[in-house]
Amino acid sequence: MPEESDIVQVTDCDGVKLVRVTTTSILSEGEVEAFGQSLLAIAEVPGQRVVLSFMGVQHLTSLVLGKLIHVHKRLAESGGELRLADIDPHIFEVFAITHLDRLFRIYEREDEAIASFAGEAEA
Amino acid sequence: MPSLSPDTDNTYPWIEKVLPTRLEAIREAEGDVMERLENLGYDEDHQFAIRLAFEEALVNAMKHGNRMEPSRKVALAYRVSPECIQIRIRDDGEGFNSACVPDPTTDENLQRPCGRGIMLMRSYMDTVQYACRGKEVRMVRFRRSSDGGATP
Repeated sequence: MPEESDIVQVTDCDGVKLVRVTTTSILSEGEVEAFGQSLLAIAEVPGQRVVLSFMGVQHLTSLVLGKLIHVHKRLAESGGELRLADIDPHIFEVFAITHLDRLFRIYEREDEAIASFAGEAEA
Repeated sequence: MPSLSPDTDNTYPWIEKVLPTRLEAIREAEGDVMERLENLGYDEDHQFAIRLAFEEALVNAMKHGNRMEPSRKVALAYRVSPECIQIRIRDDGEGFNSACVPDPTTDENLQRPCGRGIMLMRSYMDTVQYACRGKEVRMVRFRRSSDGGATP
């Protein structure tokens, strides 16, 4: 399964996979599937630490939330973790309403999210 | 498919469409809704809320109602006025009891991948009602006096 797609761009940052969403909304079946498949491909590496940046994303639906939960569970099974960053206030409200802000660690910026992993590795 | 619009208003008429069961059709349909909201001066918060509820309701109709079967259709009707937006969506499925959908925010359901659409619709719209044994959803969101709309 390819990590990169039309929906996401993937880079390595100090052992953390930084995934940036490259579209403003994820709605069509093709987009939702490509998004999920890209993240699941990254989650295949045991213990993988992932930061998903939503910078520029203005809209998402519960289909995307479902994909995030799936990836979160897959990563957690192997000791990895998915952390989120750069979430628009409107979209953050969606996470808060659904209480998913309790499930995911959410950071204001992607560099803070990446650094949070580094801090734990040193501890 | 019978009409979903309850009355006629020449100034702000009900718009009726029949959509194929394809998620891509949602984006096509929402374009006109968003344009009408913008033309009437609905602010960003309203636009985000209405778009989210509109998409969630159509996703539910296509995925859970019609089970993505291409032969099934979704009937859509909406009316955008300066005071509120009214949306009606009916699928070709078997219907469901919305009261039986589990609360996705409880600890035991928090990691379930589904079940958040209705909760988001109820959060972002002022009224969400089901009719026709769950095959039709009717939603309304009012403008507030604080953003230029009339108080409901």
